[in-house]
Formats: sequence, C-alpha cells, structure tokens
Amino acid sequence: MRRAVTPYLLVAPFFLVFGMFGVFPLLRTAWVSVHRWHLVAGPEGFAGLANFRDLLLDPLFYNAVGNTLSIFLLATIPQLGLALGIAALLARRGAGWQVLVLVPNVVPVVAVALVFGQLLGRDYGMVNFLLGRVGVGPVAWQADTWAAHLGVATMVMWRWTGYTALLYLAAMRAVPRELHEAAELDGAGRWQRFRTVTLPGIRPTLLFTVVASAIGGVQMFTEPQLFDGSGLAGAGGSDRQFQTVAMYLYEVGFGRFDAGYAAAMTWVLFLLCAALTAAAVGLVRRVVRR
Amino acid sequence: MRRGRVPWSLLAVLLVVLGGCSATAHERVRITVATFGEFGYEPLFAEYERLNPGVDLVGRVTDFDSHHKGLITALAAGRGAADVVAVEEQYLPALRRSRDKLVDLSRFGARDLRDQWTPWKWEQGVVGDTVLGLGTDMGGLAMCYRTDLMARAGLPIDRDALAALWPTWQAYAEVADRFSQRVPDARFTDSAGTVYTAMLNQAEENYFRTADDAFIGDSNPAVSRAFTLAGAIGAKHQTATLTTFTQPWNIGINQGAFATMTCPAWMLAQIKQAGGPGGAGTWDVTTVPGGAGNWGGSYLVVPAQGEHVEAAYQAAKWLTAPAQQKRLFETDNILPSQPGVYRDPSVLARTDPYFRDAPIGRIYAASSDAVRPNHRGVRDADVRPIFGRALGRVEDGKQTVDQAWRQAVDEAHTVLR
Repeated sequence: MRRAVTPYLLVAPFFLVFGMFGVFPLLRTAWVSVHRWHLVAGPEGFAGLANFRDLLLDPLFYNAVGNTLSIFLLATIPQLGLALGIAALLARRGAGWQVLVLVPNVVPVVAVALVFGQLLGRDYGMVNFLLGRVGVGPVAWQADTWAAHLGVATMVMWRWTGYTALLYLAAMRAVPRELHEAAELDGAGRWQRFRTVTLPGIRPTLLFTVVASAIGGVQMFTEPQLFDGSGLAGAGGSDRQFQTVAMYLYEVGFGRFDAGYAAAMTWVLFLLCAALTAAAVGLVRRVVRR
Repeated sequence: MRRGRVPWSLLAVLLVVLGGCSATAHERVRITVATFGEFGYEPLFAEYERLNPGVDLVGRVTDFDSHHKGLITALAAGRGAADVVAVEEQYLPALRRSRDKLVDLSRFGARDLRDQWTPWKWEQGVVGDTVLGLGTDMGGLAMCYRTDLMARAGLPIDRDALAALWPTWQAYAEVADRFSQRVPDARFTDSAGTVYTAMLNQAEENYFRTADDAFIGDSNPAVSRAFTLAGAIGAKHQTATLTTFTQPWNIGINQGAFATMTCPAWMLAQIKQAGGPGGAGTWDVTTVPGGAGNWGGSYLVVPAQGEHVEAAYQAAKWLTAPAQQKRLFETDNILPSQPGVYRDPSVLARTDPYFRDAPIGRIYAASSDAVRPNHRGVRDADVRPIFGRALGRVEDGKQTVDQAWRQAVDEAHTVLR
C-alpha cells in the first residue's frame, strides 16, 4: 500500500505546479471567455459565444494574425537556414566558436529591443546613416509595414539563430561517422552528403526547432512591443502595421480592460498555435524524408 | 511507517520557517507611496517621518505605463497595490468605474479640504458623494519655442510679440506656414498629436457628453476642428513626427529638429534634461494659442485593499497640502493645482534662467486661472489613442486627413460597441 503511494507523492509537486500554472489558467480563461468581464470590475454577465463571434468578425484581429504570420515567416525561414549553415561550419572546425554563437541568446530581450530600436531609428539611427552613405534615402523603420516586419524579424533572428545552430550542431555530432564515410566511399560530394546523410540524421531536431519557433512565433510579443518607440499601448504603430496577436490581446485585455474578449482571443491563439505547429511538422516531414 | 513520516517532517520544517517570517512584529506603520516619473516626494517623505514618529513612508517609483498597468492589475487581483497611489488624470475615468476598489476619502473628512483646489481639479477626483483622490499637480499649458529657429525664420523671438502672433490655433497654423517657407530643414512643431491634444483640452467636451456620457466624438465640432487643423499641419510635413517622451524626441529637442511645442509646467524639466547645460538659453516660454489649457496632472488615491487606509489618507493629505505643493514648485517646477499656492507672490515671481529668465510663475498661473473643466468620459482612454494614431497615419503620409478621420470614427464605434 505504502509502496504504491510513494511514487505518486514524488511526482506530485510537478502536477501540483502544472495544475496551478497550466490547467487552472486554461480553464479559468475558458470561463472568462464566455462572459462579459471587465478586468478590474469583474464579471458583468454571461455572454455565451458572443466574444468568439465578435472576434471572428474583427478585422483588427485578422490584421494581427496576418502580421504575426508575416513576421514569423520572415524570421523563421532565414533563421533555420542560417542556423543550419552555421552548424555545418562549426561541425567541421569550430572549437571555441560555439560559445560566441550563443551570446545573442543570453542577452535579455529588452536590451536587444532597445539596441535595435536605436539602430533602426528613422532620424538618428545607425542603419539609416549607413544607408545614407550608399545613397539610399532614410527608411521609416517603424512607419513602413514591410520595414517594420523586417526589423522585428531581424531582432528575433539575431536572438535565436545561434541557439538553433547549437542544437543542430549537437544533432550533427550524433550522426554516425560510418554513414558519412560510406557515402564518401560511394563518391558522394559534400553537398550530397549533407542532403542525404546529415539532414535525415538530424530530422528529429529539425522537427523540434520548427515546432519551437512556430510556438514562439505565434506568441511573439516582446520584440514588436518594444519596437514601437511611441509607447507600450500595444497598438504596433499608427496603422497597426506590426501589431501581433499577442499585442492585440494585450491592448484589449490591459488597455481596454476587456478581459472576456481577451480571454476568447487567448483560446483562439491557442488553437492557432496548435494548427500552425501541425502544419510546420507536416511540412518538415514532407521536405526531409527519412 | 517510517517512509510516510518524511513529508510530515518536511511540512513541520516549512511551518516553522513560515512562522518565523510572520513573527517579526510590525511596530511601525509602513505606508508605501507609488508614483511615476518625477513627483519630487523623496525629501518630503523624510520630513513626514520626522513629524510622525511611528510611520515609515516608502516611495516606489516606476515609469508611467508600468505604474498604471500595475495599479490596474493589483486592483483586479485584490492585492499588491501600494497604500497611496498616484493616478494620472487620463486613468481616472477607468477608476471611477471601479470605485469600490478605492477608499472613499470623505470617510476621513476629505470633503473639508475642497477649497484648497481649483474647482475643476477637485471635481475630477469626485464621483457623486465619493471622494476618490486628492489632487497633486496640474499641467497648466504654455508654448515653448526655440529662439534660434524663430530668428532664422524672421519671426520675433520676444515672447510677448510671438504670443501676439498666435492668439488662436488658426493663427498658429499660419505662423507654421511662414516658418516652413523660410526654414526648410526644421519643422515647426514636434507632432500633430500635441497640437491636437492642446486644442482638445481647451474644449469643455471632447469625446463624451458631460450630461449623459454619450459618445459625441464623431459630431462634436471641437473634436473635428482640432483634428482637421492638426491634421493639416501634419499633412504639410510641418511636424517632426516625433512622439513625446521618446528618445528621438529628446534628441529632436536637443538638436533643434522643431521650433515649437506645447509645454505644460512639468515638461520644463524634460526639456532641461534633453537640452543639457549647453541648451540653456535656446528655449523660451510664452503663452499658448487660446490663452490657457491643461495637460496632465495627477491625484493620490488610497486603494481599499490596503492595511492602513487611514494612515495612508493622512499621508496623502499632508503630501497634497498647500505648504508641500509650494515647496514642490520651488524645487521641481511641479505646478500646484491650488490657487492659494500658485497665486502666492513668491510663486508668481518665479523665473527660470534656463529659459532666458522666462517668468514661468506668471505664465503658468495665468494659464491655470483660465482653464475650464474638461469632461472625460468613463471610456475616454479607449477612444483617445485611436484619434492619436489617425493623426500619425496622416503624418506618415499613409492617409489623407479625411480618410484618417473616417477610420478613427469607425474604430471608435467598434471599440465602444
């Protein structure tokens, strides 16, 4: 009897914490989302699915979804490609460089955002100064939609490329040498070996990084929020040109105090996250065959 | 049996540790005072503690946004708020809606203090019979201008002559045209938003009707007139499109990117900071178009969740009392919201060498005397930024004034649905 209890007792702390910070908020959010709920004043009556209906008819929500996807793609595709390249270089000769590659990731995101905000300033930014040297007119990094997406994506890329590269590197090291040698004996070139031996060998890691960046991408908040130099309202520019879903959520929940609508958005964001993850996994499975 | 005892002994240890923490008895009353930006309270805290042995006043300063968001979150959660919290007037309407979370200060006799403040300041902090907050400073409005840029444009640099050029905002816009023709490499003002805000604050009603709090932002001529005029200045690229308080804005002040900006009393400190010692004498202060106005100003409120609400009230009462308000103006240019203080001869006589000895005491007192109360609806903060962003789109050249206006009105209706 006692013997049966002890293991459960040992794993209990995890479930306790998970229940408190995982399950409870999830259920609570679901409860809030079917009410009219003022963040400070509290519930103001049952609303059924009205919040969800309003959300699905809300053009600002779709604008935010579009921005999120755009920034996600702009940040992720080059990031994973670059990381693969860096990892391949490090795998050949790179002792000592691994640490350096990780540095951007340990810098706090707020500091990163501040630095990028300075670099990408319209009037007094370093990047525009350099562009001016080669005859390109100043870019309004915050005001222009594509420039803003690119700016935010650069920040994300800068932070995560090194980290992803290290994951790839670890996975590459685990690919059996014999496979490489056999392929080499068969006359495969470097590129062919990379495609047919390395990539399939690190497939699980590829999947993991794609899933991780999909989840991170859908929830993207800090970088675009701080990219907006004009304040922390979460609007993402005068035309909401770089407002992500998480920012819209913040604007509604903590700016307008409409907790019910924000909770509904949280759930839709959750589903969106699941869908995007599934799509990304499917894509990787298809592209990199076993 | 032995195995089962382990968690219990752990629990016992935990209980002892926790008990030890709470056993340190609080003999002194500790009152936390949460403010944002610069209130100048630190020296006052020490004095209050000297006058009231047994009370510890502890300041907690954060930036504007985090401060107010933190207060809202703490009120929603029912814990975590400071004992005395400063609230800027734009957040006051939101608090009115949840006034049960704040202590009604009339419980402690706040109603008797009423005559200290200028009437509109007192009224803003009151809902019916409930007194929500005690007024601290206010933002009497003036116009700051760069003398060097004005000289280059061939405009007068004397403050009275300049004020005579812009009795109204329409005249101000005409001066902007003259300026832009002569000085192509600098802008006339920092942003369309500040002009718009100043004009709105001079009207008695903005987005909501005083009588029944209904949305009138789409039909109130005061709003559309301000939007059209500010939008036109923005569309003509006479603004530097710099958002107030941002780093580029600070640099713009320092480098002379724009020639004028509306400046409430509390902004003088910001200009000094951005301009640095080298900027002394470049900026001057004169009367704002329309003669008077108000931008900003705060209240001290006491959240009901606090443990020592009465002691908190006493501290707030003392901090907002005339003697302290006068000292804050003398040390930090924080403009009192109490006529008895800002009409005090020593306050009126105050000049500032950084702004070419501008008689700031006289200018701000005159501006404050003429301020009319300005009704803000309960949902004002939901609507206000929408129109601000609309002007941003005009300045960025993305939309015409009409397009921006129509989109803003649509958005406002959606938000208020």
